[in-house]
Amino acid sequence: MVMQRRKVCHFCESKVAIDYKEEHLLDRFTNDRGKILPRRVSGTCARHQRQLSQAVKRGRFLALIPYIPDHQR
Amino acid sequence: MPRPYETVIIFDSTLEDAQVQEKLQRLTGLVAPDGGDAVNVDVWGKRKLAYPIDKKEQGIYAVLRYETEPSALIEFERVMRLDEQVLRQLTVVDPIVPAPPVARAPRPAEEEE
Repeated sequence: MVMQRRKVCHFCESKVAIDYKEEHLLDRFTNDRGKILPRRVSGTCARHQRQLSQAVKRGRFLALIPYIPDHQR
Repeated sequence: MPRPYETVIIFDSTLEDAQVQEKLQRLTGLVAPDGGDAVNVDVWGKRKLAYPIDKKEQGIYAVLRYETEPSALIEFERVMRLDEQVLRQLTVVDPIVPAPPVARAPRPAEEEE
């Protein structure tokens, strides 16, 4: 049996506010196709997932992160 | 009642620094009648865009933080939309956390595009 570490919400843990201007942060929560990682993968809590998805979408609009990565365009 | 806002503007990267300053000055004047002193301006400078906008690969980013009447934003955003050297603009209610949560903490109000 594989031991699985209990996932905790990154934002609840670190208390950092989700900022759409921090592309490194948004990058961490999107996959290599630029999609927002689901909660079951990232472990984000519901509240922060909502804030995060909003932030990712703003980040995309401002061309901080891609809608679609270059290698797939 | 004035509310805190944050606006990110992406200018055409072919603009000179002075031109950017000039535009910013005009824009800040629209949200802060006293000549824009109350506006916190942070120019990030030239940055590569994650995808081309109007066939441009680079943009000059500027972040403005200020308090103003919601009604002032109408003209502010209109002027930016008319400016072809503004590639993108996004105004959101400033997410700065308000005073520590009271009994019923108000959720930070959300944006408009």
